[in-house]
Amino acid sequence: MTRLELEHVTKRFDGPSGDIVAVNDLSLEVDDGDFLVLLGPSGCGKTTTLRMIGGLEEPTEGDVTFDGVRVNDVKARNRDVAMVFQDFALYPHMTVGENLGFGLKREDNGLAENEIDERVAEVAEMLEIGDLLDKKPSSLSGGQKQRVALGRAIVREPRLFLFDEPLANLDAQLRKTMRTEIDELQSRMGITSAYVTHNQEEAMTIADEIAILNDGTLQQHDTPARIFNSPNNLFVAQFVGSPDMNIFDGTMTEEGERYRVEFAGRSFHVPRDLFEDVAEDVSDVTIGFRPQDLFREASTEGRQGHAGPVIDSEIRVIEPLGTDAIVHAEIDEGTLTSTLTRFHEIDEGDAATFTIAPEHIYVFERDTERLIKGRVDTETDEVGAVMSD
Amino acid sequence: MSTETTDPTEEFRENQSWLFDTTAGVYLRKTLVGLVTAGAGLFVLFPLYWLVVTAFKTTAEIQQIPPTIVPQNWSLQGFSVVIESSIQAGGYQVFFENTLGVTITSAIDINVLQLVFNSLKVSVGAGLIAVAFGTVASYVLSRRDFRGKNVLMSLFLASLMFPGTAIMVPEWELINMLDLYNTHVALVLIYGAMTAPFVVWLMKGFFDDFPGSIIDAARMDQCSPYETFRYVVVPMARNSLIASFIFAFLLAWNELVFALTLLGNAKYTVPPGLLTFVQGFNTQWNVVAAASILVSVPVLLGLAYIQRYFVQGLTGGAIKG
Repeated sequence: MTRLELEHVTKRFDGPSGDIVAVNDLSLEVDDGDFLVLLGPSGCGKTTTLRMIGGLEEPTEGDVTFDGVRVNDVKARNRDVAMVFQDFALYPHMTVGENLGFGLKREDNGLAENEIDERVAEVAEMLEIGDLLDKKPSSLSGGQKQRVALGRAIVREPRLFLFDEPLANLDAQLRKTMRTEIDELQSRMGITSAYVTHNQEEAMTIADEIAILNDGTLQQHDTPARIFNSPNNLFVAQFVGSPDMNIFDGTMTEEGERYRVEFAGRSFHVPRDLFEDVAEDVSDVTIGFRPQDLFREASTEGRQGHAGPVIDSEIRVIEPLGTDAIVHAEIDEGTLTSTLTRFHEIDEGDAATFTIAPEHIYVFERDTERLIKGRVDTETDEVGAVMSD
Repeated sequence: MSTETTDPTEEFRENQSWLFDTTAGVYLRKTLVGLVTAGAGLFVLFPLYWLVVTAFKTTAEIQQIPPTIVPQNWSLQGFSVVIESSIQAGGYQVFFENTLGVTITSAIDINVLQLVFNSLKVSVGAGLIAVAFGTVASYVLSRRDFRGKNVLMSLFLASLMFPGTAIMVPEWELINMLDLYNTHVALVLIYGAMTAPFVVWLMKGFFDDFPGSIIDAARMDQCSPYETFRYVVVPMARNSLIASFIFAFLLAWNELVFALTLLGNAKYTVPPGLLTFVQGFNTQWNVVAAASILVSVPVLLGLAYIQRYFVQGLTGGAIKG
């Protein structure tokens, strides 16, 4: 039961050509029982951050606090934190049971041998690895090893769970089941957790809150929904969501109570109140929209009051995924990616007209890549006023 | 892809060579490889063969010219001399005379059992010292960064290149000063020191490849650095430790010069002890060979038992495989 806080934490490593800043002035707060996911591309400092929380690395500057107590100088073994590693890091010379009980035996907890065995059996039962207790890690499958690694963390009932890409070494099917299990387990035990991954889908599904890092700097710390709909900047917008967001250069001009946005030779209007603090002289913008928000004009016929841009294109590639397909289409200014359900009607080489609702379009300042208009979800947000024009 | 032929089967036959793709070529290749293997095998194994057959020859046959490749009369003469001499030197004649009614007299007065025992004492001691110090040192050298680390590693390597005899005089002085002359402790210390650098290099290779996440896991499991070493690292390093021990053990087992110099007759280990069987023109080579075989047996048995640990994998599936 711990509230975790990082205050202006910086970590520098000695590199061959000067210092390498792995984590740069990072401040984060995770409330008791919350599940934080640290998300970012490789080398963005997320694992270093996790290791600093665990006490495996010491911050160069700044403080790590548990429940307001500064723990910078507390050694990893005294922090009462458990960690699950990407490569599982099971002790190969011990049986599964010994692996699970090892931490408890080393701990100064006054537990008798048979009490430890009881705890181990309990956890093994919970994770359905009860019949593996006498086996060595080398004879386990990947999923079983992962369960043992989880069990080793759970059995100690620590203050914090740390997960360092725990699912990266599992196959896709297993990854999904384990993801659900970890989520369930964490909610049940109510232990504050930090979870590192570079997989945005994993992050979106599992997290209470996501912290997105790039080059050691925090980009955004928010709920998954807000990260998706109101990304702070272009990097965050492009990093989450699959398939990749469509990005085009555009311009923006003020027209009374609304803005006129132009891109790829099309223009549309957006009411002023959908924008957030737009600087006076902004005219060059970057336009983004999700493939899921793009519709074929033919399939939206009869839709009333929709004033989005209409884009003619030629379909290049259709990647069927079962019930829907990812469709790549070509326009003069680049490529459009969309996710369509009724993809059987179209064929590669066909002409297709796409359209998109203005409230689903993201607008960024081109110079700073800062978001000035996010995606408004009409079903959940009152601001999603339907435009006429 | 050449387009000279349009026959589909011919296309697959392109790029073939006589040596690898014809029956004659394959046979020639196999014959050559077999001959080279046989030659190398003969070169390596003949001395061993000669030792064994010499041990089973009579004294008369050994002096025969030309020598015989296979003994004409298989004889256990050599072995009986060694055993009788050991019984006599060990003071067991009375026991044999009383219980078995056999009177044992021997011209030679060397106790092979005592030699083996002395050698085991020295070699095990040296092996333990080398492994204990070498492992601890290499763990630190592998896990920590400090100034002069590379110099230290180079020094260790350089010390392996010195012939032992080059430092004989200072060693002798040192042992004398410590008042350890004519003791087995002297040899244990010297052999231990001679092999420890090798153990450092061997174990450092192991520790360098040791998965860091397992050490992190141990730290998370509330181990102090010592506990990590004791409960996690050492058990995982078992096979490398055994390899190091065998190396140190064998070096000590085979070492002649220091043992000959620093020990008196009564405390001889196997190598100088065997040398005492060689007595000028009078040498009974079948006895020497028999003694050599007898002293090798315990070591061979021990190594045969321990060898299986070499084969086992080191990390054994701790890491995603």
